[in-house]
Amino acid sequence: MAFIHAAKLAALLGLFSVPAVWGSYAAYELGLYLVYGMVGQGIALCWGRAGFLPLGQALFFGIGAYLAGGALTTFGSGWLVLLPMLVAAILIPALLASLVGALVFERQVGSGPYFSLITLALAMLGFQLANSMEWLTGGFNGLSGIPDLLPGVDRFDGLYYVIVGFLGMTTFGLGYLLRTPFGQLLLAISQNEMRLQLFGFRTGVLKACTFAVSAGVAGLAGALYAPHQGIVTPQAVGFLLSAEFVIWTAVGGRAGLAGPVLGAVAIGFLASGLRDTLPYWEAIVALVFIGVVLQWPTGIAGMIQSGWQLWGPDSRHQPAPMRDIALPMPPRRRTPVLQFEDVTVKVGSATILENLSVSIEPRSINCVIGPNGAGKTSALNAMTGSLPITSGHIRWGQRRLQGLRPYAVSALRVGRKLQVPSIFSGMTIGQNLDIALWANRIGLLERLTMTPYRWRTSVLSALEDRFPFLRDGFRMSGELSVGQRQMLDFALTVASEPELVLLDEPCAGLSVEETGRMTEAISELIAELDATGIVIEHDIDVVERLSDRVHVLHQGQLLASGTMAEIRQDPHVQAVYAGGSKV
Amino acid sequence: MPAEIADEGTFRVRIEDGRHVDLLGTYVLNQLYITAILVLVVLGLAVVFGWLGVMNMAHGEFVMLGAYCAYMVQEAGWHPLLSLPLAVVVTGTVGLAVEGSIIRHLYRRPFDTFLATWGLALLLREGVEVIFGRGYKSVDQVLPGTVDVLGIPYPAYRLVLFSAVVLAFVGLFLFYRASTLGARIKAMVTNPVLAEAVGINTTRLAQWTFVFGVSTAGLAGALLAPLVRVEPFMGLDYLLSSFFVLIVGGLGTLEGLLIGSAVIGGVDTVASAILDKSAGYIAVLTVSIFFLWLRPHGLYSRR
Repeated sequence: MAFIHAAKLAALLGLFSVPAVWGSYAAYELGLYLVYGMVGQGIALCWGRAGFLPLGQALFFGIGAYLAGGALTTFGSGWLVLLPMLVAAILIPALLASLVGALVFERQVGSGPYFSLITLALAMLGFQLANSMEWLTGGFNGLSGIPDLLPGVDRFDGLYYVIVGFLGMTTFGLGYLLRTPFGQLLLAISQNEMRLQLFGFRTGVLKACTFAVSAGVAGLAGALYAPHQGIVTPQAVGFLLSAEFVIWTAVGGRAGLAGPVLGAVAIGFLASGLRDTLPYWEAIVALVFIGVVLQWPTGIAGMIQSGWQLWGPDSRHQPAPMRDIALPMPPRRRTPVLQFEDVTVKVGSATILENLSVSIEPRSINCVIGPNGAGKTSALNAMTGSLPITSGHIRWGQRRLQGLRPYAVSALRVGRKLQVPSIFSGMTIGQNLDIALWANRIGLLERLTMTPYRWRTSVLSALEDRFPFLRDGFRMSGELSVGQRQMLDFALTVASEPELVLLDEPCAGLSVEETGRMTEAISELIAELDATGIVIEHDIDVVERLSDRVHVLHQGQLLASGTMAEIRQDPHVQAVYAGGSKV
Repeated sequence: MPAEIADEGTFRVRIEDGRHVDLLGTYVLNQLYITAILVLVVLGLAVVFGWLGVMNMAHGEFVMLGAYCAYMVQEAGWHPLLSLPLAVVVTGTVGLAVEGSIIRHLYRRPFDTFLATWGLALLLREGVEVIFGRGYKSVDQVLPGTVDVLGIPYPAYRLVLFSAVVLAFVGLFLFYRASTLGARIKAMVTNPVLAEAVGINTTRLAQWTFVFGVSTAGLAGALLAPLVRVEPFMGLDYLLSSFFVLIVGGLGTLEGLLIGSAVIGGVDTVASAILDKSAGYIAVLTVSIFFLWLRPHGLYSRR
């Protein structure tokens, strides 16, 4: 870490010495590319980290530029203008972005292309408005004659240092943000957004905040662009510049904060060199871009990094903070009864659940069995907000579970392990466990501090004793075997300390020995959590060992309910399982 | 945006003529016509995106290529009808090359198709700029004059276009439902691995589906060329309106395509007629954002 900080500092000092070494015109040009690179840093935050691509960043850049240009031409340059101008140039784009982000992300899981297209369309709209609203923007000719940022800060001289200073601030600020729990949650979003919601995180809001930060950075860059160029035209809002921001980011490398700046500077100087000799250099840039997408998704920065790793120190094995802050278990409420009342779920013409009524006593382990297609997983889906129910009620004490979003269900302390192991496979085991420990526990401000990395709970310690591989915090979870993934997924579910634990086939794919360990772990940890457990399982030995009660589902209905012994005697169950007439 | 397509001229001329009775009729005809144009333009993207999952950001550029084909035919002094086969051949060939060199490697990585085709869009725009220059080109009207429809004079070319789209759409709909090729495509779309296992050559099927998609875009461009300004950047508007139609209508079905086109076309014409072009644009954008928010799968989708 210390080494990386030193490298960043050296880069910054190098940037400061450019005017002295290469002269002020080169510094003027470089200043523009650095401003563009700042916008790219915001894109890298959204795209490289959180996994959604904003395609219209020029909108925010342009708003910042028009605001700064307008303020400087109207009020003249001075310290009194500077501060409110910068605040407005950052906050107004950020507010706009958070609004758009909240609208688009809130009800949609995933990072499909539609968000990108909406941002692109917004940039095109901005371009149209900037052209037509002449009274405000000067129309096609733009705002010109913009004075210097501050008296004495000449655009060919002093402004360069101001730009480098701000770039240093965004680099260190965003770099800090990436290392905080907030940054780790963004990584988790890009890996498995649905799973993160099941840990109680409102991912849409997280993404909207991230988008707002990136827009704020773009606005700040725009505010520096206006005095740097002395003119702001609708081009600063347009689609073409938006596209170029993304290309610079991709070519430079979207994984970190140095890449976008590198990309903007490299392509910028390349273009200014080629523009006169080779009129269609943009076609070359397009080809490079296609090549990057196909072959080098990490860009220039990624290539440098992998070259560095061949002979440099391996940066992946940096010591993580110890988990030395023991958290108490949150006070258990009187765990309520879970009740399905006449729950019917229809999807199209198919009836998935039909008048399902069942009551689950608190602090018991309930196994749900039934043939494939009986509606076992669907019953859980109906509880955790991923399957809307057609009629009936699902109550947990006073609360209704139906109609809630997955994160809201999780906030009621319902934890769920999905049928197929669902982990954050691009993150280490330690990072996976972090997310589970933070679930429904981490405060809004704590997300911006490093303390939550040090958290430990008694449940986590118990899990580590049961499954020692969890102690190997640096191991990538994607490298785990199927059995270990099941165990990790189970550990994550339990480590979030729910009061209602839903486990969907926790022993699927496990060896006999592993099944034994898993079964013991389930009964021990559900007891430790003082929770109610619902376990879907096909392995009848597991059911026998775990269950206080067994519920048999068949064709979306409850066939029988009782102790294992009672179920064995039930003629209906025998008919379904042992063949004969299928009712 | 469809503002290029949504020609308000006819609408306004009628008012000046003082033939208010015809206003509604003209309005209905325009609405039908605009829906048909959108269907024509979006069809290729609906196929490529809805069936293959390729977010073709160069869709509009294929429309643009088709329009330039019409311009070339005019410059060469050939019969205007020749622009249609030329557009199909040119865009089909480009599509085949693109599929083989770029798209084929990315079928399981939808987000990367998005980026790579975007680079492709840049490349096609640049290429056209190299050959034809940046300026506007115009293609002459093919069938000037009007035809009376229920007593309302209506531009003949639009009527021909409208009928062609309706015929092609119905044909495609029946073909997709009834033919074995349609069934094989459906199989590939729902489960490519299984489709391959039962002996469908999905590599080739996907290839030709892609080529079909982009050549309908080329065809659309050639048909629209006499009605719009032909320039290297014309594709962007078509790309965005196409995606908006798919957002509203939903992916994967031809019915959704029809509904989405009607909604987007309608919103745009009404807002543009009441205020101006920007208002139409804002209205379409707002409708799309609200659809993403409230009905992310659109009005009619296979999900």
